[in-house]
Amino acid sequence: MSFLPGWHVLRWTLRSATCTVLSRRQNIPQQPVMSTCRLYCSTDRRTNQPSLSPKQLQPGRDLSLQALLDMGFTDAQADQILEQANRSRGSKIENAASMLMTLFVLGLNTSSVVKVLQKCPEVMYVNGTHLQQRIDNLRRLGLLEGSLQRVVSHYPPILTLPLKRVNMVARFFREKCAFTVQQVTEILRDSPAVLQTDLGQLEYKFQYAYFRIGVRQPEMVKSKLFRVTLDEVRCRHSFLERRGLYQTPDKKGQTCIINPKLNDFLNVPEETFLNDIAKATQEEFEVFQKLMAKEWQEEDDEQERDTGADSDDDDDDEEEEEEEDLKSGYSKRK
Amino acid sequence: MAALMDTRILLRKIKDLRSLTPRRNRVKTKWAGSLPKYPATNLALQNFDATYKLQLGEQWPSVRVSLLCEQKYGALSNNFSDNEGVIAHLQSQGCRDIVSCALDVGTRGMAASSHDKPTSIESITVSPDMPTVSLSPNIKCLVFPRRDVSRFKPSRPDAHGLLGYYLMDAASILPVLALDVQEGQSVLDLCAAPGGKALVLLQTQAIRFLHLNDISWGETERDTFDRVLVDVPCTTDRHSVKEEENNIFSRVRTKEKQKLPQLQLELLLAGIKAVRPGGLVVYSTCSLSQLQNEYVTERAVHLAREELGISLQVADLRPLTQLFQDTFNFAPDPYLGQLVLPHLTANFGPIYMCKLQRLN
Ligand SMILES: C[S@@+](CC[C@H](N)C(=O)[O-])C[C@H]1O[C@@H](n2cnc3c(N)ncnc32)[C@H](O)[C@@H]1O
Repeated sequence: MSFLPGWHVLRWTLRSATCTVLSRRQNIPQQPVMSTCRLYCSTDRRTNQPSLSPKQLQPGRDLSLQALLDMGFTDAQADQILEQANRSRGSKIENAASMLMTLFVLGLNTSSVVKVLQKCPEVMYVNGTHLQQRIDNLRRLGLLEGSLQRVVSHYPPILTLPLKRVNMVARFFREKCAFTVQQVTEILRDSPAVLQTDLGQLEYKFQYAYFRIGVRQPEMVKSKLFRVTLDEVRCRHSFLERRGLYQTPDKKGQTCIINPKLNDFLNVPEETFLNDIAKATQEEFEVFQKLMAKEWQEEDDEQERDTGADSDDDDDDEEEEEEEDLKSGYSKRK
Repeated sequence: MAALMDTRILLRKIKDLRSLTPRRNRVKTKWAGSLPKYPATNLALQNFDATYKLQLGEQWPSVRVSLLCEQKYGALSNNFSDNEGVIAHLQSQGCRDIVSCALDVGTRGMAASSHDKPTSIESITVSPDMPTVSLSPNIKCLVFPRRDVSRFKPSRPDAHGLLGYYLMDAASILPVLALDVQEGQSVLDLCAAPGGKALVLLQTQAIRFLHLNDISWGETERDTFDRVLVDVPCTTDRHSVKEEENNIFSRVRTKEKQKLPQLQLELLLAGIKAVRPGGLVVYSTCSLSQLQNEYVTERAVHLAREELGISLQVADLRPLTQLFQDTFNFAPDPYLGQLVLPHLTANFGPIYMCKLQRLN
């Protein structure tokens, strides 16, 4: 099989994903031809076992309708992808072919690829090489086959983020919040959106859970804390607290009442939360949320007044903030 | 649960995070650890958790969260000011006058007693077996509807320097309405400061003589007044769970707090003595405490009979509270008097009131 130089991404190891290639609109043969190809992933860069047809893998070629059909997209899907690609004004269109192949190699089928591109058109413009590096990096962070594909399908923007950003967030969770490597993997798997969240906000949420709710890292991971907005976390917690159903544990970790588990009040639908845990009506919670929004707004305004004019002149320099003080941490408890 | 780590570890530079994060979400340098060890508000909550959980049962969590959230106000219209525009504006924002709404509730479907000439008091019979309630239509109190958490803007003076409305807990007009002031009567407000309920009383424009008293009550005027309002000092539950300042649960005021029921009893007895035979006394507090509400009233009725030879009849307030069902959340089965329970959808109160008629 011919292999194009320079496309080093295609150093794959065998994995058991299959890709059905439907060829239509071809002159010969008239009937659709089904061919199955094994797909590979790149855990081992030394292995060199490509087996996709060179025609499909050719990176520099135009992203033609025919090429897409060859890859197995339906007419409608192909049209849609082309339309999207054309919006990028040609310049990077050659990326599209390699990008698509990288996604196939990852193990996504055509309809998943289409969904990924629908959810996050920016993926279209990611250079194939970068894409492969990012995927490799996610594997390195512990997202293994199955999880990796699910995360990508569920949260395609993950493919648009530079390695630096992803690694910084992972490092932040490990070093600043004292999560274990395994826990960080779980956070990324369950809540990939953290990768695009401001670190200050993440840390605030972590601190809120740690100090105000009084839970440790394993419980945070289990309850999928980072999937829930900070406002929702605080609303549910404050609601319980003000109803007298939740207490922050004291220094010895003791409370006068038996607290519900974070997982039971956060990681459940609102109805369950209200019926089983808060034992309140939806009407009450609705009003409560409105009142909390007002309270927080006022806290903001108050701090605004207190901190005065000197507070807003700093630039957002993530890198610097990352370097600084990462050593401070929270006790790890498993 | 494992122990919480020292919060001091968190002391770190937050400068770089600030511009990225809404202020309230910014990483804090201090969490709860730096608060005073035994804030009075905490002591109040502990006390309430212990007593009100027993008293209110399943309702307590709903009341508790309401006490800890922003309370709702009512705008008492000042009839002495030029405020038509102001009131119309409030109405256009969705406010409604709870007294005229109550009058509507009363007249709707019920046989309202007819009036030949307009007076400052309107009488309503709620149901055939209930006594007549009279409400002064001159008392106007505007509130935002249930579940609406809008706030009133502070009132601004009119051309003569008079405010168009006063903001107060809307439920505090209830004890005044319960007092049922009639044209030309004399009224004693025994614990008047800072004067909120006195203002409501004045709005009726029916009072011939209003005596405002606070702190020093000399027992000079016995058997005098047609109406006596005894709005006693109490644990001011809402204030006590929210504000450290002037908090009756602070350690230094323990004695004072313990003596409250006794003081309340004495004040109510003083009110009972001051009212004329046939006159009415309304006892009120802004606490949920049975000890300060029902027990004080019961004890006062008992002592008045035993030691003063004064017989009192406890008046039924249900005809009144029925008219305000839509606005306030009343405790379901009070055995003596009526209690407005705070609720998030109608966050007024707490207000307790009990109405006594002096028989001899
Ligand atoms: C709940 S406040 C009254 C509020 C007032 N009725 C209003 O609506 O604005 C209780 C008042 O009782 C007063 N007070 C305390 N001890 C008293 C006493 N021995 N005699 C009369 N008033 C007293 C306090 O000064 C306080 O102003």
